[in-house]
Amino acid sequence: MNVSLVLALFFNGIVLGLIYAVVAVGFSLVLGVAQVINFSHGLLFAFGAYFFWSISSVAGFWIALFLSPILVAMMGLCIELLLIRRVYGQDPLFGLLITFGFALAMEEVIRMVWGKVAYSVSTPMFARGQLFIGDIIYSKYRIILAVFSLLILLLVWWVITRTSFGAIIKAGMFDSEMISALGHNLPLLRTGIFVIGAFLAGLAGVIAAPLWSIKSGMGTDILMPAFIIALIGGLGSIKGTIIAGLLVGTVTSLAVLFIPRFTDILPYLMLIVVLFYKPKGLFGEVTILGEVREE
Amino acid sequence: MNKKTNIFKDPYPIIFLLFFIYPIIPFIGKFRTLGAELLIWCIFALSFNLVLGYAGLPSFGHGAFYGVGTYAVALTIMHFYSKGVIIPLIIAAFFGGLFTFFYGYLIKKKRGIYFALLTVAFSQILYVIGFRWDEVTGGETGITSLKIGTFLGIELKNPLYLYYFIFFVFVISLIIIRKIANSPVGQILRALKQDEKRAQYLGFNTEKYVWYIFTVSGIFAGLAGGLYCILYSSAFADTLHWVKSGDVVMATLLGGGLVNFYGPIVGSVIFIIAREFLSAFWDNWMLLYGLSFVIIILFIPTGLLGIVENIKERKHRDSLNNGNNNLTMNEKDKPAKILTKEGNDGPIKD
Repeated sequence: MNVSLVLALFFNGIVLGLIYAVVAVGFSLVLGVAQVINFSHGLLFAFGAYFFWSISSVAGFWIALFLSPILVAMMGLCIELLLIRRVYGQDPLFGLLITFGFALAMEEVIRMVWGKVAYSVSTPMFARGQLFIGDIIYSKYRIILAVFSLLILLLVWWVITRTSFGAIIKAGMFDSEMISALGHNLPLLRTGIFVIGAFLAGLAGVIAAPLWSIKSGMGTDILMPAFIIALIGGLGSIKGTIIAGLLVGTVTSLAVLFIPRFTDILPYLMLIVVLFYKPKGLFGEVTILGEVREE
Repeated sequence: MNKKTNIFKDPYPIIFLLFFIYPIIPFIGKFRTLGAELLIWCIFALSFNLVLGYAGLPSFGHGAFYGVGTYAVALTIMHFYSKGVIIPLIIAAFFGGLFTFFYGYLIKKKRGIYFALLTVAFSQILYVIGFRWDEVTGGETGITSLKIGTFLGIELKNPLYLYYFIFFVFVISLIIIRKIANSPVGQILRALKQDEKRAQYLGFNTEKYVWYIFTVSGIFAGLAGGLYCILYSSAFADTLHWVKSGDVVMATLLGGGLVNFYGPIVGSVIFIIAREFLSAFWDNWMLLYGLSFVIIILFIPTGLLGIVENIKERKHRDSLNNGNNNLTMNEKDKPAKILTKEGNDGPIKD
């Protein structure tokens, strides 16, 4: 087997896994703190890409890179204030359905505004070309992308595990009643987390835009991997989500060599195996959600 | 209580009658395929409501078991047996039940958000298999133009005969599902929905009942899927996708499955007819479809029959407040949980 091909696929898997992880971290945080299965998370990812496409064609790459995630975060704020806030503490299906319905409706809005054709974004000037690592020729943009995603993930991990704000977030996952009893503003915290999650989804959409074609269904397509990764990594664990993202990314990417048609199914099989042995996910901690009763 | 109120409380004879005369109803009766699809959706939504409305479990992957039913019938007809329709349907129900039996084992201990997450993830596995395994499932194009066999020697090519065959299956399914819902198991499930710990303290193995109802629900979902395959003589991977699972949840909630056994039927009828008409006249109907989820959750979470029930309850309370008719107090208004001196819960038997 061609070694450089395997290595190239492996790197592709890592890039893919890191993008997945950025999306999944936001999903996981919202799930942990707000206890809502946010089916509109993929939609926010898609909006990130579409905003980026529109703005970069008018105002250039850097402004679009800066502005698009902020616009998506503002969308997230509106979604939280108008919809999700109403279903806190109710049946989990309600939160799922309200975000699901909203995502379907907004996907249609995307089709009405931007049309049904897929767009592609060209890579920025400074990131074009190839790099030579040993014998392997690898695209410069993918490397920049990987480093950038990793920095974002590390920043999120640092905030969650090393700052007092992160401590409040973690406490919110354990016992949301308790943190409001301790005088923290729980609704504000939930809104904040949702906005951060939306920002991360939008950012992932922006950085993935030059890599994939931009189409209305891209939100639905990214939702499932993000969802699986959040579950495999363990809800609320940033470290677990990153590792699960890398795992899913590399395994699906390398599996192209062996079972080209069934690569999509591997994340699900991994999920079943992981949940069978570790019901809380790889690095899951005990959260309110983790009411997994073990024998 | 006289017979008249009984029929309105449990109106299945009326439903049977309405669907029986459906083909001769003016305007809408012409659309026999639509009518047959309504019946199929009623079976599907009723089976789903056993899990959502009775056991209170937020399943969001039921479309997958429906899809399994369609493929089971399609593959049986294609490869093994194409003379009659009964055997393929039994196989569809069997496979629907087999998959839910297996999944049920894996998720019977999970509740709430975890349950919802896992049902989504598991149903998606079936979608990927259906979508990718070209040799067996036909992949993206699915399995089309099947030759549908006969039922007791009757050719089902005639849409009217086909309608009445599906009506026949619907009648049987509704009677069985209704029986299960009213059985002691149904009662235990309702107890589980209200307070699982309490039900466990009363000595019920709630996990076993969750597993049981999930399997039963899968059997009927598979059956409904099988009927769908017979109706359109084809099977597609689309039915397995999680986005499609939203349809049945929508239909069930819209009608009021959370408060009434017949909610799913009301919801299915409104949902399917609205979908047919909207998608025919408006390209961007998905916008309205998505927003209707939002509206239902925010404003009428108990569904249409829930509104009716609320009005009834308010009237009833008003009549109580007026001071007359205290004797009409029904089961619901009695204080349900009475702590006795020993600290035990009040009367349990019935």
